[in-house]
Amino acid sequence: MRFATDTGGTFTDLVVEDDDGSITLHKASTVPSDPVSGVLDALTVAATARGLTLRDLLARADSFIHGTTHAINAIITGNAARTGLIVTQGHRDILLFREGGRTEPFNHTVAYPKAYVARALTFEAPERLLADGTVQTPLDEAAVVEILARMREQKVEAVAVALLWSTLHPAHELRIGELIERHLPGVPYSLSHKVNATLREFRRASSAAIDASLKPLMTRYLGSLSDRLAAEGFGGKVMVLTSAGGMVEAAEVAAAPIRIINSGPSMAPVAGRHYANREGGWRTAIVADTGGTTYDISLVSDGRVPMTRDLWIGEPYRGHLAGYPSVDVKSVGAGGGSIASLDAAGLLHVGPQSAGSTPGPACYGRGGTLPTVTDACMVLGYLDPDYFLGGAMTLDADASRTAIAENVADKLGMSVEDAAWSILDLATENMVQAIQELTVNQGIDPSDAVLIGGGGAAGLNSVFIARRLGCKRLLIPETGAAMSAAGAMISDITGEFAATVHTTTAAFDNDRVAAAIDRLRRDAEQFAQRTGTPGEIEFIAEARYEGQAWDIDVPLTSTNFATQQDIQAFRHAFDAMHEQIFTIRDPGSAVELIGLRARIRCPARADGAFLLKEDPEAATAMRKRPVYFAGEGWVDTQILRWDAVPTDTDFAGPALIESPFTTVVVDPAARFRRSAAGALLIEA
Amino acid sequence: MENALGDRMNGAEMAVLRSRLDGIVRKMSNTLLRTGRSGVLNRARDFSCCLLTRDGDLISAADSLPIHVLSGPDMMARSVLQFHPDQRAGDAFLHNSPYHGCSHPADLSVIAPVMDEHGNHRFTVLAKAHQADIGNSQPTTYMADAKDVYHEGALIFPGVQVQRNWEDIDDIIRMCEMRIRVPHQWRGDYLATVGAVRIGEKALTGLAAEIGWDRIESFAGQWFDYSETLMADAIARLPAGSVTGTSTHDPFPGFPGEGIRIEAKVDVDPVAGRVAVDLTDNPDCLPCGMNLSEACARTAAMIGVFNSIDHKVPKNAGSFRRIDIALRVGCIAGIPVHPFSCSAATTNIADRVANSVQTGLASLGEGIGMAEVGSVIAPSAGVISGVDPRTGQPFVNQIFLAMSGGAASPSSDAWWTIGHVGNAGLCCIDGVEMAELLQPIVVHSRAFLPDTEGAGTTNGAPSTIVEFGPLGADIDIGYLSDGHCNPPVGVRGGGSGGGADQYLIGRDGVSTPLDACAQVTIREGERIVAISCGGGGYGPAKARGADQVAEDVAGGLVSVARALDVYGVALADDGSVAATETAKLREAMA
Repeated sequence: MRFATDTGGTFTDLVVEDDDGSITLHKASTVPSDPVSGVLDALTVAATARGLTLRDLLARADSFIHGTTHAINAIITGNAARTGLIVTQGHRDILLFREGGRTEPFNHTVAYPKAYVARALTFEAPERLLADGTVQTPLDEAAVVEILARMREQKVEAVAVALLWSTLHPAHELRIGELIERHLPGVPYSLSHKVNATLREFRRASSAAIDASLKPLMTRYLGSLSDRLAAEGFGGKVMVLTSAGGMVEAAEVAAAPIRIINSGPSMAPVAGRHYANREGGWRTAIVADTGGTTYDISLVSDGRVPMTRDLWIGEPYRGHLAGYPSVDVKSVGAGGGSIASLDAAGLLHVGPQSAGSTPGPACYGRGGTLPTVTDACMVLGYLDPDYFLGGAMTLDADASRTAIAENVADKLGMSVEDAAWSILDLATENMVQAIQELTVNQGIDPSDAVLIGGGGAAGLNSVFIARRLGCKRLLIPETGAAMSAAGAMISDITGEFAATVHTTTAAFDNDRVAAAIDRLRRDAEQFAQRTGTPGEIEFIAEARYEGQAWDIDVPLTSTNFATQQDIQAFRHAFDAMHEQIFTIRDPGSAVELIGLRARIRCPARADGAFLLKEDPEAATAMRKRPVYFAGEGWVDTQILRWDAVPTDTDFAGPALIESPFTTVVVDPAARFRRSAAGALLIEA
Repeated sequence: MENALGDRMNGAEMAVLRSRLDGIVRKMSNTLLRTGRSGVLNRARDFSCCLLTRDGDLISAADSLPIHVLSGPDMMARSVLQFHPDQRAGDAFLHNSPYHGCSHPADLSVIAPVMDEHGNHRFTVLAKAHQADIGNSQPTTYMADAKDVYHEGALIFPGVQVQRNWEDIDDIIRMCEMRIRVPHQWRGDYLATVGAVRIGEKALTGLAAEIGWDRIESFAGQWFDYSETLMADAIARLPAGSVTGTSTHDPFPGFPGEGIRIEAKVDVDPVAGRVAVDLTDNPDCLPCGMNLSEACARTAAMIGVFNSIDHKVPKNAGSFRRIDIALRVGCIAGIPVHPFSCSAATTNIADRVANSVQTGLASLGEGIGMAEVGSVIAPSAGVISGVDPRTGQPFVNQIFLAMSGGAASPSSDAWWTIGHVGNAGLCCIDGVEMAELLQPIVVHSRAFLPDTEGAGTTNGAPSTIVEFGPLGADIDIGYLSDGHCNPPVGVRGGGSGGGADQYLIGRDGVSTPLDACAQVTIREGERIVAISCGGGGYGPAKARGADQVAEDVAGGLVSVARALDVYGVALADDGSVAATETAKLREAMA
């Protein structure tokens, strides 16, 4: 038996896989002050459903996979370790300069962001290497020892080292690492070339600083998690999800905690890839995960989950750039709790303000009076006030009507239904814009993709999103309401290793590239040995046309560059990828190779069925209720229980399909069917 | 609000369309950023994309460079209409003439009509991209000492057709390749620019297929009315008054000995909901490259206004109706007369215009306007050129090693890396490793300079200081560094930010001051030191939060002495605020 959990802002989701490959979903409220107790609550729910005690349940399991926001929250709330930074002499302000850039050119209400490591704790080591490895200034070890003494005085709890050109010439960073071990024994440290081998020193320094600052706390957190699970009777492996869409053993995290900062959100596309493949062998998917306050979008492109090196903690340009590769997940402030309002000149806005879970939408009856997207769905008849979360919570439909009438409908001189529809329509548009930005960046045409809706609120407007995007197919997996946890359950154990190699197709340095590939392959194979499972290695080139500043990822079909044909094959692959993303190719320009990465995936579960157990109590009797659709008005609509929908049969909309975790709205223009495996497939 | 939106399209429908049109512009920008070849595009983001009506009214320019787009695209689109009344689908035009609406010759723009299926011109898309080179007589795109456009030497395209039936007219491309340095790089940038325009055209056509051309046009009209309403509301919240703001540019080649003092007379009429900026009382055009184009004169005045009011007012032809700008033909900050050169029209004098408007507005009352943003272009953002000894190939590129300049606003400390007032911080900063990889240089140090922040209740940015030099060859560097004699001033009692400076360190280690505006050769073994301007402060420094001052001291960017003298903040031995002594000091400063 295996467990996978995802701790969200409101709910902690749990997926339990039994040894026969069948799975069950469970939810419990998140306990922000103690996330582990939310996890134990969800496990208790699962135990009760099986008629077991928590201890019995835990004793049967061999692995516990979990996503955690503990690291990212520590950064956002400023609770990471007091960290010192050592940089090359003359470059103390590396973290303060960042890479420039700003949004909202006329908004002068936002001050310049502070550096991740305060200037007071940033020290300059006398040393300088040049691009070709020339030692312009030798490392002054006595000065470094002096710096370390001052760090001790300043009670520094972790140290990051980021020197110029260290990815090509790591000798000085390595030496400083040795000096730290000798002069600050026990203090964790991170060397930039080991944390993030990229040629952009700001990103490398930022990654190293974040990584070091997380070491003390993540070591403690994972230790305590393992201990508490053990105390409750769990004897298996604790695995942690990484930003790259894989998992690693908890013991590996402590060495490089930056790997898990985007731990939870990276899993939705892993689930998306699985379901897209299972339901239709589809290679390209848009995966949307709807929460109460945020809408997370990710992609599957030709069977791969695209990565980004632009992961911001906080708002772009205003927060901290992690600089570390992560699954490309775009988050926008749009969800069920997003508040609708009118500005002074009568333009409707939805979000980014959110009512959150407290006070929540007006219909929650917890004191919220402002209209939200959830209230709009209430007014439109999409939500059943008596069957929200399977009846766990009763909603107040009148409160939704009043909130929308007073704040939107009356002021615009329209009916409450039309106003509610407008709110949902604008929320839909905001989500569509976010999807389009991401698909443009990755060169994906939404009309060729399947849209996969995850999250409890996904079903409310995914049909409208799919239609607006021109996606012909919409897929809501049976585990959609807990998609990240489902993704965690099927994710692989993954490791990623990077090397900086700069060369060009005009004069290809095969020896250096071959040496780098050998080194990466060795690192990856050692990783696989540690996990005890053989894995598959994928190599990725980071490359660009000469003169470009931004490189793109090109998966390598061969790691052999010995002949001119090999090099030509690589450049053709680059041209094709560049054209896919940017619509142009430039065969006249040489292609520069900037870096190489190796990604290893070791499967963590056998190929089992991974099927959700059906709800035996699903009512088969069909009910109807009036539901409002734009252009149609109130339509008497069939209400179906998810597990009671016959499989492999086509139905015409309109319909509402309800389960204890979610409601899916199918409008009159759409058609739907339930697949043999239990997912809903909708043609919008 | 009934009047603003009428009964045609409601606030919900407008919101959706607004979002879709902004999305199209962002899509264009993204393409240009990621495919541009020269550093000035792909790292400094010195480009803009926008969407205009058929008649040239600006609809959307989401997150574009302010100095590029508020006014300019409108005039350029109109001049193309005038020169090419019979446009076809698939046409595209090159435009960079400052005498016909472009900002300055380096901002080479591609303009294309968007036609419906019947061949009717419905909208216009435009992408403007600052070139690494535009064929000037010197390897710089900001030629301060250009006596006229002939001496400047830029290729000028006053709305010249460059594509027919979506294909290049090769004659034009060949001309450019013969007259623009590093033609291969130029061609890459051109491809990126035309690609952005075509992506905009395609996306707009797709939207029309869905909702119809008439509906997009109807939206544009109503969107302008809506934006005008918000603008009138924002102006209604300002105090009435008439002020004259001034800002003085340092002495430069071709300038009078005392420099150029720019005056902007600003009238605010909150009842009518209008702001008027009069720039007519300024010197005549001069035989140098510093004259403003009409586009930059208008835009700089508008930037000063928009920096001073609620930032949520949309910037488009609708809100622009509420700003009246008076310009004079033949004025350095007005309408230039051919052949006076406008080589550096987007930065130096334009910055002084915008600054005089926003500091002028600040004097109208508490909580409005802004302090002065620092001037440019220091050598740390200069144009470097030479032959790369590693490849034997010539190179020319604007570098962006450092800039700050951000001014304090009434509500916040400055955003430091603002560049200059016309750029608003959108420009990226080069990484040291990438810069050293792309050009034969070594960046020995770069930092923010202590005690150069514009001290105020809210602070302006500190200056930056960069020391760099060539590696294995000599390099040339062109720059035009304003703000040494006239550093950025504070407002409402705020202090000035640090001034600009530059000097050369010889092989013997001896420093020699460099001219403010020059084209300099740096020999191997020599280094140049470039100091950028900081930015002005807003409100008296003694009203700044004492804890904030203590934090600045801890970081080493404000000295203990400055905390005491300028902010009236005394610190205890552990660096925390000595409250009693601070209160006493601050009382004495009153």
